Amino acid sequence: MATLTLEQVSYVYNPRTPFAVEALDDVSLTVRDGRVTGIIGHTGSGKSTLVQLLNGLEKPSSGRILLDGEDIWARPKEMKKIRHRVGLVMQYPEYQLFEETVRADIAFGPRNMGLSEEEIAVRIDEAAAFVGLELSLLDKSPFDLSGGEKRRAAVAGVMAMRPEVLVLDEPAAGLDPRGRDTILQGIRRYADATGSTVVIVSHSMEDMAAYCDDIIVMAHAKVYLSGTRDEVFAHADALASVGLDVPQITKLAQLLRARGVELPQGIYTVQAALEALRPLFQ
Amino acid sequence: MAQPFIHTKDLWYSYREDDAHSTPVLRGISLDIARGEYVAILGHNGSGKSTLAKLFNAILEPDSGELTVAGTDLASPELTEDEIFALRREVGMVFQNPDNQLVATIVEEDVAFGPENLGVPSAQIRARVDAALAAVGMSEYAGSEPHRLSGGQKQRVAIAGILAMQPSCMIFDESTAMLDPKGRREVIETFERLNREQGITVLTITHYMNEAARADRVIVIDDGRVLMDGTPREVFANTEALLAAGLDVPQCTALVHALRREGVALTGEPITTEECAELICRALEVQ
Repeated sequence: MATLTLEQVSYVYNPRTPFAVEALDDVSLTVRDGRVTGIIGHTGSGKSTLVQLLNGLEKPSSGRILLDGEDIWARPKEMKKIRHRVGLVMQYPEYQLFEETVRADIAFGPRNMGLSEEEIAVRIDEAAAFVGLELSLLDKSPFDLSGGEKRRAAVAGVMAMRPEVLVLDEPAAGLDPRGRDTILQGIRRYADATGSTVVIVSHSMEDMAAYCDDIIVMAHAKVYLSGTRDEVFAHADALASVGLDVPQITKLAQLLRARGVELPQGIYTVQAALEALRPLFQ
Repeated sequence: MAQPFIHTKDLWYSYREDDAHSTPVLRGISLDIARGEYVAILGHNGSGKSTLAKLFNAILEPDSGELTVAGTDLASPELTEDEIFALRREVGMVFQNPDNQLVATIVEEDVAFGPENLGVPSAQIRARVDAALAAVGMSEYAGSEPHRLSGGQKQRVAIAGILAMQPSCMIFDESTAMLDPKGRREVIETFERLNREQGITVLTITHYMNEAARADRVIVIDDGRVLMDGTPREVFANTEALLAAGLDVPQCTALVHALRREGVALTGEPITTEECAELICRALEVQ
């Protein structure tokens, strides 16, 4: 529903002091409309700074951030509107739950937008369904939920604002494998059903490969690689050289290809590997 | 047989926020861990695995059952403060968030914090700090400010801080969860080296199946009980049971099981990428 573009964006922490650190150095990139884009990069590569720039939490030291072609800093007083259009889910968002019920917590954002109570009720149900939160949980205190459920409630709260761009910083960090799959499937379901643009920051190559359409790799304050998932993961050696990795199953496919097994490129999931190998065993 | 380093028998524990709702988190855990073992502990969020680690370190006290760690009976009603203090020197813990564990403004001061508290003479502290930083590969950062380090480097400083107290066991409670792949590798390689070269008993709690596959032994905790206990190969062979417990298996293991379900004859339980490639090539008769 919206395209985000960075034009030659730089960001410096503690500018004009001996402690100045350039977190982003002349970064230009496009987050494509209606796609799920993964941002990966080593610690300190600039990806968290990037996330905070996307919805105007931080202002670039230079360069422009365009939402559907319009500079988000053109009218600073209207930044609140930008934040309704670009929704941000921070790391460990469950620590920010505070209402008496899960329902009230999810309603917080939509209510702030001035929506009617009927509309808010519709959005709560819709967001809860996306993240797979059972309706019976909505009237409980958020503090009675499990860790994974709390995380999903926090994500639902931002989804309920129906932002045109949903940005999530490490949405699966610290969750067990089932919790990880549940939240990521929920985000994918939301993207597919609403056509929203989604940006996910993560360290997990397996998760990025399984759930994203496009990938942007950050390294040393710059965009190191970007493109579709297939284009980026084809550069396994380049990823390794900046401390990143390809999924184990992708490495397996590379080993097999090197030994003469005829497998296509672009195997990132166990299911894809199974489908490629099945005919060879028949 | 020598006395195990950690011994539990029918160990129970529940968090009591109010007496009406005290659901047991651990329901009869029995296991023995020998000195020098390298053990991965798996379990879904809320399975009780972190609670178990906190019992091993005397942060929590058991409700019932046997619990002996490093020769100290932690279930004894006569357990003294001094014994708990001595045990925590023996069993160090590294937690998840690298930003919550460093207390000083200079790396070497942070590492010295533990031994200073133990009353180690200052001449020895210097030697211990240097040795600990060397062991985690952080000597060149001795004079750095912790907040300027990467996540993996911070965790290695946290490990050095424990090492300086000369423990015999280290417990890693999801210590790699917040790190990037490189940081994760740095931390794993550090504790594997400490296990191998200094004989330190390593317990690592993780959600990453690939990490667990590197350990000598994997213990799976599910709803407060030991669900499985064996080598990674033995444990990951039970794909269905692991999935039912909300866990996963390494991608290669999952692929081999899926092929086998479709009738492909594959013998063996590969857990590494290389083993898996070998197995598939052999089955396809590729050289």
